[in-house]
Amino acid sequence: MTTVQRAGWFVFTLCVVVFLIAPLLLLVLFSFGENRLTTFPMGGLTLSWYEKVIDWSSFWSAFENSAWVSGSVGAVSTITGTLFALFLLRMRARWAVPMLIAFSFPLMIPPLVIGFALLSSYTQVGFDLGLLSVIFAHLVITQPFVILVVYTRLLGFDFAMVDAARDCGARPVRIFFTVILPQIRNSVIGAALIAAALSLDDFIITFFTIGGGNTLSTLIWGMLRTTIDPGINVVGTFIILLTVGMTLVALWVTRYRG
Amino acid sequence: MTDAPLLQLRGVSKSFGPVTAVEHTDLSIEQGDFFALLGPSGCGKTTLLRVMGGFVSPTRGSVWIGGADVTRHGPEHRPTNMVFQRYGLFSHMTVRQNVAYGLQIQRLAKSDVAARTRAVLELVQMEHYENESVTHLSGGQQQRVALARALVMGPKVLLLDEPLAALDLKLRRSMHVELRRIHKAIGGTFVLVSHDQGEVMSLASRVAVMDSGRIAQEGRPKEVYQAPASRYVATFLGEANLLEGERRGGVITLAAGASFPHDGPDGTVTVVVRPEQLELVQESAEDIAIAGMIRDIIYFGSHVELHVRLTRDQIIVAQVQDSEQVGDTLRDGSRVTLWWRPDPRKVLKE
Amino acid sequence: MPKGALLAVPATVVYGTLFVAPLAFFLVVSFWHASLFEIIPGFSLDNYVKTVTTYPRSIVFTLTIGLSIAALTTLIAFGFAYVIRFKAGRYGPVLLFMALVTLFGGYLVKIYAWKTILGIDGILNSALLGLGLISEPIDLLLYSSFAVVITLTHYLLPLAILPIYGALRGIDDLEVASARDLGASSSRVMCDIILPQAYFGIIAAFAFAYLISAGDYVTPRLVGGTETRMIGNFIESQFGMRMNTPLGAAMSFTTLVLSALVIVAVGTIFRLFLRRR
Repeated sequence: MTTVQRAGWFVFTLCVVVFLIAPLLLLVLFSFGENRLTTFPMGGLTLSWYEKVIDWSSFWSAFENSAWVSGSVGAVSTITGTLFALFLLRMRARWAVPMLIAFSFPLMIPPLVIGFALLSSYTQVGFDLGLLSVIFAHLVITQPFVILVVYTRLLGFDFAMVDAARDCGARPVRIFFTVILPQIRNSVIGAALIAAALSLDDFIITFFTIGGGNTLSTLIWGMLRTTIDPGINVVGTFIILLTVGMTLVALWVTRYRG
Repeated sequence: MTDAPLLQLRGVSKSFGPVTAVEHTDLSIEQGDFFALLGPSGCGKTTLLRVMGGFVSPTRGSVWIGGADVTRHGPEHRPTNMVFQRYGLFSHMTVRQNVAYGLQIQRLAKSDVAARTRAVLELVQMEHYENESVTHLSGGQQQRVALARALVMGPKVLLLDEPLAALDLKLRRSMHVELRRIHKAIGGTFVLVSHDQGEVMSLASRVAVMDSGRIAQEGRPKEVYQAPASRYVATFLGEANLLEGERRGGVITLAAGASFPHDGPDGTVTVVVRPEQLELVQESAEDIAIAGMIRDIIYFGSHVELHVRLTRDQIIVAQVQDSEQVGDTLRDGSRVTLWWRPDPRKVLKE
Repeated sequence: MPKGALLAVPATVVYGTLFVAPLAFFLVVSFWHASLFEIIPGFSLDNYVKTVTTYPRSIVFTLTIGLSIAALTTLIAFGFAYVIRFKAGRYGPVLLFMALVTLFGGYLVKIYAWKTILGIDGILNSALLGLGLISEPIDLLLYSSFAVVITLTHYLLPLAILPIYGALRGIDDLEVASARDLGASSSRVMCDIILPQAYFGIIAAFAFAYLISAGDYVTPRLVGGTETRMIGNFIESQFGMRMNTPLGAAMSFTTLVLSALVIVAVGTIFRLFLRRR
């Protein structure tokens, strides 16, 4: 590789990294800025926007709703997804792969279509909109992630251990809790966190299926449509910290090396 | 330059950071050689092979092929082709596509590509698998495809990086026969890297035994086996008993008890005795005989290995024909006398 | 029932009742029609006819801008994944980590961040003015197709890197070494060894980026201008103001089908390009 090529790749990589990270960093930076407008120069540093948001009751009720939704979505999709990954593992590869693709399909459908379709179905069967309908809706898009993460981990699992456990007389449920789960525990926790982060990240599906009430993302939507309020930067920073934090913990527990 | 060797390494060194893999190595390989680089893992033999193939550029020194300096040429510009230990087959292609790939890059006519691919697949006896995906083949079959893919290019030098290491013993034996047949059939020049001395003995016309980045000894396998230059070479190429001794006034006296004449300066020496040199004798009048007690007898079908304890801390291995004596007078604990014909080439100055 | 099928029940219930059934119902509804405040079952293609006759420009615009976004995203994602896998050495995991960290962070938050960056009084303009690089703020940055493309590319990039990197990771270094040994140049290694094996990862990333951007409406609304109204904006307004679910459904499926056609076409062209070599 010549020096020119090397420099070219370096510049390209640097640009991509800056492109990915800079917008989020700037938002966090401006959440501490004194000026009402997010422009340079940003004025002095202040925590006053944080104080305002902390004193704002709508923020806390949205936060509580988000916590319920993300937590439930993380827990439920982890259970359904892990069980399904175990099921896939018992199938031959020629069946498992198409099923994996089919179950990943919701990721390919625009959230607008999923949200709209779910809303009209809820209306049709008379299901009341609220946090529960949002949780159900989010399961559709988080479950595939859990299946992918856990199934990938299970593929590297040494099944001689299961045979050994059976040889010792353990029955399937016991084998799952004493042999399989301890080994894949980190991947399962990681998958749960990713599912929760994905739920927190979503706006469109939430917007269609929530009816009244707010989560953090619909709260931001309201703020965006009304005034230019530097409080958005604060709530945005909050969401970034939560999702990035969950992703970091997930990467750490799964020891993700790519 | 018709008398120049086909492939030559001149003062080649290679370091990876602080680690030196190859140290100042000179090597000449002649047209038609089946050359083996033998050594334990980590001795630098694979690095040396990759230097020849152009996958690694040497830190110092140069590589010459057919009288031309190719040191700075990448593998795509060298008249060499490599068979990799893990094969490196193109997993998205069939057997035929794998083999034809290099020819297509040379933009040969379609009919040429087809004919040469077919011929080389026949040579390695894989012609019935040409439309199979390579991922469906067994290890031995993948090995043959990898060989065919390199051979079809008609390389001046074919480089083989432990090509048989992943195969089981029986398959490996039959591939040895195959490789000899193919080498004879095309009359090419092969360089083989191996840590298996049996493989090298049965295949190679020349061998270089490597030790920590250097060539410890080079020559025909038989020569190296019969006249090892060091304890390292003696023990790495074949089984060897090493007996310590002293030379005074042209006579070597071994610590184990025997003595025989051998010219040379006074001092300590090591005598190499191959297990098959040793013979069981009755009480011997000759000096060159040693006595000991059998500690273990191992059957190999055609022959038997006797582990004989000479002194408190020396056990010698002798290889003898199986006979009715074994298990009768020859048992654990029996006292035996061993004799051999001293070979002046097997005395090391150490 | 095969052994262990019980394990599949919960996920299948979720998938069946919350994904397959609603979409199937939505498809059925697209053949119904809306009257004032209720929807009336029936079977007519009216909604589809209405979709293509009322919104042709917006459909074409959506399909085109989707193509630029998906192409740009896939190209950058491939380059970045390629650097991680083949060029970065021990820095590879760090770069991968960067991509994964920006996977989430809030969809709306990211759009809002770009709004503040690209605005006429925004961060980019004020920084460029402050540095003296421009004398007048550039007002085409925000409320334009450019802003929509940049914002969606930023959102989709981390998600596109993952499948491509996954595919590149499956390529054995020895296959690359073998190809070079057989005389292949770097461009031939790329076309003969790397791209064919990364094909499904690349197409998956492209399809994902295309479908998500073709179905988006928040980005064009917040950072796009009047000329960048995408079909998603009109679908959303069937929900918002008009409550015309049948028309919204027909518009949704029209978009999905046309997007799928574009993706199949791109996949086929790409495959033919690779085979021609």
